[in-house]
Amino acid sequence: MAGRGGNRSRLLLVILLVTSLFLITLDLRGVSLTKSSRSATQSFLAPIQKGVTSLFSPVGNFFSDVKNFGKTKAELAATKAENAKLKSQLILSADMKGQLTKLRGVLNLAGHGGYKVVSARVIGHGSASTFSQTLTIDAGTSDGISTDMTVLGATGIVGVVKETTASSSVVELMSDPNFKIGVRIAGTQSVGVVLGQGDSHFVLQLLDPSGTIKVGDVLVSLGSDGNKPFVAGVPVGRVSAVNTTGASLTQEADVLGFENLNDLGVVTVVVAPPAHDPRDALVPTPEPTVTVYVTAPAVPAVSPSPAVGASNAPTPVPTPSATSVKKKASK
Amino acid sequence: MSPLRAFLSALFLFVIFTFQESAIARINFPIAGFSFYLAVLIALMALEESSGAVLMGFMGGIILDLAPSTGTPFGQWALVLTVMGYLIATNRESIGDFTSRAGAFVGFVSAVSALTLAGYLLTGTLLGENNGAVVHNMVVIAGNSLWTLLFAPLVLPALAKLRSLSLTSRERV
Repeated sequence: MAGRGGNRSRLLLVILLVTSLFLITLDLRGVSLTKSSRSATQSFLAPIQKGVTSLFSPVGNFFSDVKNFGKTKAELAATKAENAKLKSQLILSADMKGQLTKLRGVLNLAGHGGYKVVSARVIGHGSASTFSQTLTIDAGTSDGISTDMTVLGATGIVGVVKETTASSSVVELMSDPNFKIGVRIAGTQSVGVVLGQGDSHFVLQLLDPSGTIKVGDVLVSLGSDGNKPFVAGVPVGRVSAVNTTGASLTQEADVLGFENLNDLGVVTVVVAPPAHDPRDALVPTPEPTVTVYVTAPAVPAVSPSPAVGASNAPTPVPTPSATSVKKKASK
Repeated sequence: MSPLRAFLSALFLFVIFTFQESAIARINFPIAGFSFYLAVLIALMALEESSGAVLMGFMGGIILDLAPSTGTPFGQWALVLTVMGYLIATNRESIGDFTSRAGAFVGFVSAVSALTLAGYLLTGTLLGENNGAVVHNMVVIAGNSLWTLLFAPLVLPALAKLRSLSLTSRERV
């Protein structure tokens, strides 16, 4: 019996393995059946993801608020009902405020570059069952989004639209191992390619053997033919370390992205490129450091009696150093 | 495994898959993400007889291949999970009946979860996929196993009970 059962499961295994390999072959040959099945799943999941997002967003804030609830428990007991109502309103408004801040950031970047954009909320992050880095947004073909469009965050590039349905899209994040983007170093104009590594670090491979990379160099997108998948001039990241060795043919550097890809609430999708290449206009400038020099109050010096013929000479402005010199000289 | 139970299992797995993709995927777990779906699927495969485990692996793989975030060829998960189903089925006798021992069962699900992800990476490499940095992939696998180890005890008893309810009297014998 056991042998018969074993044979049956082996036969089933062979049939299912052949079926799997057949499906893989179909997919690799670009048969639309496999692609459309994923698209259909996305259409099915998008409304659920939207619902869960609006459910999870206030709940996430609520739990952090509950942590501080015990501190003022006695005080809150009297006005429990009223406070609960106010708290839920506060949580909602804080959530809205956070989303508005993010939206303002992403729209600012798009506005400076002159890109025509569609803003969208992030409704899902890539599955933990896969090693690809993606997110799902709540805008799709009905909003003018199509595949291979650039996706921006508040400070730079986020990724590229990989798949679309009528109401949602899947974005391949720039951290995905398959992600590649042509960049130039702002300022020197050396051209290279930035590759995703699966985490928050990226690798820059400089194509120009005579070009130089320095720590702190800002990388902006080079732009693609017809502005798809990448529009030009979007900040990509900053060089954090240069890894060039004498043996390597190309110069390499570690790059840190401008966007925190784990904390994206709102993004914008570039649906039309700017009339003119923004070049380095979007390169983030460092915050100016305010330096304050504090000097001791000046002690008025005893003005010497004016000499004859020196009446038109300018009166010397007393400075602390000058005063101290004078005092030392008098001693 | 009767056709009706195969259908019901597929339906149940699809519900878990929807929950994974819409709710669990929203949570930013420290270290790496947690695949609730994979944990449930492996537990179900472990509870099935040999043909059932293989079939369950294939069905679960096909459902996982439907994930819009999957960038790999359609059928890759089906291939990996069918093989895992067969390996579980053939080695169960040598391991002994662990399903009645909660600790061993949780450890088994966690370990097989890590093996499955490693197998998926290996298959991806053979198919010419770019899997990214090795260290990062190791962290993802380790993180997923850790979360499976922590969360599986909450789910497995209910899952075992649910499965026993779905068995027909003939299948019970």
